[in-house]
Amino acid sequence: MFYRLSGVHHADYISDSRMFKVPADRNLAVFFLIIGVAAPFIIPSLYLNSYMLPWLIWTAAALGLNLVTGWAGQLHLGYAAVMAVGAYSAIHAAKFGVPWEFALIIGGLASSVIGSLFAFAALRVKGLYLALTTLAMQFVMDWVLTHSPAISGGSHASLQSPTLALLGQDITSDAGYYYVAFGWCVLVTIFMLNLKRTGLGRALVAVREKDFAAAILGVNSFYYKILAFATSSFIAGVSGALLVATFFFLAAPEQFSVNVSIQVLAMVIVGGLGSIIGSYFGVALILLVPGLVNGLVAAGSEAIGMQINVETLAHIPNAVYGALIVVILLIEPLGLGKLYGNIREYLMVWPFDQLRK
Amino acid sequence: MMTNKQTANSAGDGAILECSGIERRFGGIVAVTGVDLVIQQGEIFGLVGPNGSGKTTLTNAITGFYPPNVGTVRLAGKDITGTAPHKVATLGVARTFQNLALFNGMSVLDNILLGRHIHMKPGVMRTALYWLAAQREEIENRKIVEEVIEFLQLESIRHELVDGLPIGLKKRVELARALVAEPQMLILDEPMAGMNQEEKGYMSRFILDARAERGVSVLLIEHHMDVITGICDRMLALNYGEMIASGIPKEVVKDPRVIEAYIGGSHG
Repeated sequence: MFYRLSGVHHADYISDSRMFKVPADRNLAVFFLIIGVAAPFIIPSLYLNSYMLPWLIWTAAALGLNLVTGWAGQLHLGYAAVMAVGAYSAIHAAKFGVPWEFALIIGGLASSVIGSLFAFAALRVKGLYLALTTLAMQFVMDWVLTHSPAISGGSHASLQSPTLALLGQDITSDAGYYYVAFGWCVLVTIFMLNLKRTGLGRALVAVREKDFAAAILGVNSFYYKILAFATSSFIAGVSGALLVATFFFLAAPEQFSVNVSIQVLAMVIVGGLGSIIGSYFGVALILLVPGLVNGLVAAGSEAIGMQINVETLAHIPNAVYGALIVVILLIEPLGLGKLYGNIREYLMVWPFDQLRK
Repeated sequence: MMTNKQTANSAGDGAILECSGIERRFGGIVAVTGVDLVIQQGEIFGLVGPNGSGKTTLTNAITGFYPPNVGTVRLAGKDITGTAPHKVATLGVARTFQNLALFNGMSVLDNILLGRHIHMKPGVMRTALYWLAAQREEIENRKIVEEVIEFLQLESIRHELVDGLPIGLKKRVELARALVAEPQMLILDEPMAGMNQEEKGYMSRFILDARAERGVSVLLIEHHMDVITGICDRMLALNYGEMIASGIPKEVVKDPRVIEAYIGGSHG
């Protein structure tokens, strides 16, 4: 049902290496692309800018982390620090008068350089030790940010972002901010989809799975680990800069603190390591579910005429969403992306279940 | 006593791999010592020995995983002693592993495509600009991979994940991955371990065909003596890290020292 493979024949290798080989996947992607473009006209601007926009930017960021953790298999607990580097570099560059297009690239490159320092740790240590090393680097970055007014912007440690302007156009409207976020997320998604079908993606998976087998195929795991960190850090840097430029408008160190790092990692793991659509789901769950549950609990208690004190009300969503993460990972350790994949696979051969492998 | 030392060391102009005086120690343990071997262009060379006799250590010394402490390795006349594995690969050496080393979570096709890595130039910009920069390269390499897939009869499983394949097929996928790299020297570490007679027959034929069609030289580690005597031109037997016999397989397997090492000698 829906996802049909019958009648789909790939007669040449170009067609067989398409991004979406199942027509339903392609149709869905096009459908959501159209929804994305039309969103400012169909979604009220309050929802557009407080839900859609952060969702898209965090998805782009999560995809970057997925590259290094899901594809290359390197645990990274300092991702927020790398985002901070991009955000602060881009804003300082923009304040200095650099056009925003270049400021964003400068932010991305600055992140790449710092992020590659994390990679040098990855060359020496693996697994939990790498997690600890990256965590330590997160704390170092936090300390540097809070203790250097020149970077973080004076005694209040807040840095005003100059007005975003792209292609000679000042961007000040809600729709404008949204389109910038949407465009960036689409770009990153296309990059990740391409990664799935090129030698780079294969090499990263090879390094993740068995580095000795990768080596004898000519894959230099040192080089690819650094490349993975540099690329993911570039995505992190630009995402961080856009987050401040279109959402926070003020950069502050706590926006990129250690719990943010853990949150992005949670997004990637709940969504599914190595799954692109999973990152969309994961970010939606971590970012949007607490607000949703909050609204539901408030509305529910009102409907049955029950008084819940403010403090309890604030704790319920956290408890629910924590429980939700546990439940999801118990049902499917490979995350929401795999859960969706299971449903898709089931529908692919429905009602001829016996064809399933 | 070496039987037929002359045969094993007759380094002609056509030598593809020459190892001389290889010694590799792990702490106080000498895993391999004083091993000389010369493999001629287009030769299938057997390497046998009981478990722990240093066969895999010797291949690891050749491919750079554990560089030899003493001795030199030459590939087509070029000294490659101690070269890192990923560089050895670019010089034209491919190998398979005793305990399969396929990449789980990837399809058979992607696994074999990785064998083309040294012939491709993957990069971040190329990935970003796929349609302009990577598509042609991917398609060209796909064609070469498809030739090997046809050669090894893997067509029906090319899109399946390697994780769930039976071991015989996994070994074949690994051979395909090594072959697509178009190596000069192919090192097969027990490619027929755990196979039944029929699968062994297939695999032996694939190895012979690979040499006939692709001109690859093979270093074959095996415990199945029927395979060794059936397809190898020459062979070398190791025991406790030392060479005990080398030469024509039919003669080597009759060598009392080889029989003693494998089956245990007649005492007295």
